[in-house]
Amino acid sequence: MHARPFQQIDVFSHRPGDGNPLAVVMEAGDLGAAEMQRFAAWTNLSETTFLLPPTEAGRAGGADYRVRIFTPGGELPFAGHPTLGTCHAWLHAGHRPREAGAIVQECGLGLVRIRQQGGTLAFAAPPLRRSAPNPALLALVTGALGLRPQQILAAQLLDNGPRWLGLLLGDAPTVLGLQPDHARLKDLGQAVGVVHVAPTAGDTQSPGVTVRAFAAPMGNPEDPVTGSLNASLAQWLIAEGLAPRQYLVAQGECLGRAGRVHISQDDDGQVWVGGQAVTCIEGRALL
Amino acid sequence: MRTRPFQQVDVFTATPYLGNPLAVVLDGEGLGTEAMQQFTNWTNLSEATFVLPPTPEGRAAGADYRVRIFCPGRELPFAGHPTLGTCHAWLQAGNTPRAAGRIVQECGVGLVPLRQDGERLAFAAPPLIKSGPLAEEDVQRIARGLGVARADILHHAWCDNGPNWRGVLLRSAEQVLGLKPDAAVLAGLDVGVVGPRGKVGVAGASDAEGIAFEVRAFFPGNNGLAEDPVTGSLNAALAQWLIGAGLAPARYVASQGTALGRAGRVHVAQDGAQIWIGGDSVTCMAGEVRL
Repeated sequence: MHARPFQQIDVFSHRPGDGNPLAVVMEAGDLGAAEMQRFAAWTNLSETTFLLPPTEAGRAGGADYRVRIFTPGGELPFAGHPTLGTCHAWLHAGHRPREAGAIVQECGLGLVRIRQQGGTLAFAAPPLRRSAPNPALLALVTGALGLRPQQILAAQLLDNGPRWLGLLLGDAPTVLGLQPDHARLKDLGQAVGVVHVAPTAGDTQSPGVTVRAFAAPMGNPEDPVTGSLNASLAQWLIAEGLAPRQYLVAQGECLGRAGRVHISQDDDGQVWVGGQAVTCIEGRALL
Repeated sequence: MRTRPFQQVDVFTATPYLGNPLAVVLDGEGLGTEAMQQFTNWTNLSEATFVLPPTPEGRAAGADYRVRIFCPGRELPFAGHPTLGTCHAWLQAGNTPRAAGRIVQECGVGLVPLRQDGERLAFAAPPLIKSGPLAEEDVQRIARGLGVARADILHHAWCDNGPNWRGVLLRSAEQVLGLKPDAAVLAGLDVGVVGPRGKVGVAGASDAEGIAFEVRAFFPGNNGLAEDPVTGSLNAALAQWLIGAGLAPARYVASQGTALGRAGRVHVAQDGAQIWIGGDSVTCMAGEVRL
């Protein structure tokens, strides 16, 4: 056990405390999974990551670094806010990618591309599987949220690794006023993402899209700012013409945060999920 | 906003990551209540603390430092593991108390004395606000909620020293570790469960590791029932109850957090009328925070 460089990053925010925190342990190449898991349980953050050198195969594929991502309860092949936060920590520590402005991350899912534009990092949304929800499940979730069926404009089951039920609502105050029955959602085993898209959402100067993420089945009643959900919602809403190809999301308001997620679809149809990140705690961790 | 010295300390353990974590901002001067609360919520830990110079009255009465203690959602006048962890971080940062081996902490409840015994620190258990047996209907509800027979609860008592703990003594540590509590039945209750690790039927006997009791702490969390890894306030109140009732010796070690993969160790010692609650702490992260 020795002191290793450590950072705690706020992701999807430029002001410390407004986003979703992430713990990043650098120089973790010699740590075992059990040590990583124990530390991730102890930080109690939604995710803790560990930076390692790329594998030989990863390096050959262009990887700049490798990361392992842990929740307090297990390891994840990929997650959005840990990807942006880890990349920020790696850059903040003075590393530079092989190709300026384009970082390649190796993780459980394989290689993930990250774009750097000014102070914003964005990851390429992983492929999405989506389908219409079972009407019985939809009715139960609607009830657990305290909504009437006619308040839901569109619904879709979204799966890019994490699985969400996406619900499009007609106005932002309804989204912000929801007080879900978290115990009921936990019993139903369904994580739910609720979204509203303002008619002016194409103007990205201010947030035109409001999102909340309810994840009681994952032990997290409400997540402050959620990369995977915003990736899935964007792929669904843009494909169905329910949202413009570029928009700015506000998430976390009900938790006292001010998360901002930048969504854009490029000319190849790839959706990018971006945000700012800021190092809030910097020092050494004993591991 | 500027950088301030920061430590994240593991409390009630000498081995990193087997205790209860605490975030300590070592220079909280100039921070408002709202900024402290927001940072605490952001850490996602059970408590974060902010060290300040003592107030003039505190300094006149002997205080070495002042601390403000926050949990998610509110400020606390006192709490056990934050007291030990803050004092440890303050000493680690190179500070020394006015009287060697004795530190005086100023916090919301006033002045709290701490003793230093080698690496281990102990705080004086605050007086119980409410003691005596629980109502029988509470005991039956707790038995149902813990999934044990009513007859398995050998003794019970109010353990309220701020946090509103209800304490129950079960037959054995194995029974305590095997509990699968029912969140719906226990909703709204702070329940402390204790069982002997030593020879059953011999009050306060210790096992081969020198540990007398296994403790678990259940409370209403924001996602149903939550379990605290290692709990200073509960162990203080349990000690006052169990020693007072002749169910525990004047000195013992309790274990907590086993069911969560931790190995917290709480060192209890009665000295005259005062009970001291002690534990090791270890600084796991040290650096600076932007706040």
